[in-house]
Amino acid sequence: MLTDRTDEQLLAEALAGDEDAFTALYRRRQGPVFRFALHMSGSPQIAEEVTQDVFIFLAQRGKDFDPSRAALGAYLFGVARNYVRRALGRNYTEATFTTPAEDETRSLLVESDPADGIQRDQVSSAVWKAVLSLPEHYREVVVLCDLQEQTYADAASALGCAIGTIRSRLHRAHEVLSRKLQHSVAAAPVIRNVAARCLS
Amino acid sequence: MTCHEFESAAASLNLSELSRSPDKPLLEHASECPQCGAWLQKQRMLAASLRTLQARTANLEAGPRVEAELLRKFRQAAVEVAQPESTFRFPAVGMRLTRFFEIGAYAAAAAAIIVALVLGPGLWRHRSSSESAQSRPASSSTVAAAPVTISAANDSTGKVTQPSPEMLAKSARRGPAVKRLPAAATTEDEIATSDSQANSEQDYTALMLCDPLSCSSDAQLVRMELPPSPAEGRDSPQLADVVVGYDGVVRAVRIVN
Repeated sequence: MLTDRTDEQLLAEALAGDEDAFTALYRRRQGPVFRFALHMSGSPQIAEEVTQDVFIFLAQRGKDFDPSRAALGAYLFGVARNYVRRALGRNYTEATFTTPAEDETRSLLVESDPADGIQRDQVSSAVWKAVLSLPEHYREVVVLCDLQEQTYADAASALGCAIGTIRSRLHRAHEVLSRKLQHSVAAAPVIRNVAARCLS
Repeated sequence: MTCHEFESAAASLNLSELSRSPDKPLLEHASECPQCGAWLQKQRMLAASLRTLQARTANLEAGPRVEAELLRKFRQAAVEVAQPESTFRFPAVGMRLTRFFEIGAYAAAAAAIIVALVLGPGLWRHRSSSESAQSRPASSSTVAAAPVTISAANDSTGKVTQPSPEMLAKSARRGPAVKRLPAAATTEDEIATSDSQANSEQDYTALMLCDPLSCSSDAQLVRMELPPSPAEGRDSPQLADVVVGYDGVVRAVRIVN
């Protein structure tokens, strides 16, 4: 069964030309890569482009991956980060200085409970806007550690820096994010209620 | 627990650990210290906010179009890999050669531009000055340029015969204002025949001894107006024909009147 195999085994088989192994690896790993790119760029189109580019890169240059240095997931985040940077450089004005379009964001956030949904929408939009407004080196640690729940070690491998750097960047990013969200909370009190309910 | 200890203990925890289950001493200090309590509350707010976004986007994935496109490219790459090695190498070598020639072409074009910029103005000046000299009317009363090409002739033994001033003058008189005689067509016999027909060629005075190399080149006959000479009692200016080689050296001169 392909699902029982490790990422490294699937990669080796995919590099040998096994399409099924490549498909299995893609299906296993594309979600986090897509969400990383989405959280970083705020654009589903860019996220899809980046996901495709990451796996094309893996098919072509996967032999360069060294399992002793990092897990495949962290390696893919590192590749995705470079493609996101490139895409953001291309669409610098629209992706960095503006938040994702409201309707674009809403279309991504599927409602389960209509009564609660509006408030959660508002919270999510406010948080996402705050995350997107962070400088890139803060944004990537927040996305990796807080949203993708990567360990500090994996984030350090993906970003190619020391764990201490990740920790200090994250600390600083949280401060900036708290300040930004405080303004949002003051503007829309419903955010505070939703956040408080999430705590309980 | 002091505030400093609280800070260092909190720094070792990530956001979700801080918001979900911090240690009891941390919670106790946060309840006692309003500053640390506010900070912890802020972290909890932030963690909850981020968790909201995380939960709302947790199921998002790339569309099926991406997978289809990837698989298409994967198959395409597999087909290329299955090709014989030689077919793989030719394009690479071809590209390398193309690149080489491209760089060479750029370098050649740059060199040509530099040479044109350096030599162009000089050549243009030389050409325009010679053209203007040729276009001047021969009958000008002041300075009349009548360029006549006079070349050295080869005799039958291959020895270069130096043109005498007489020959030069004869050619200048005989031909039109602008007349060029190709060196190959000027034989010793022709020159000898012309010599017998010319009368005033004896008037020319040679100013230099021509060496075969410099005198074998073209020369120009220029009519010049000399200022009146009070010492000789002349009031009107004198005209003189000067045979000038293209090296700028005067070969012969003749006083016209």
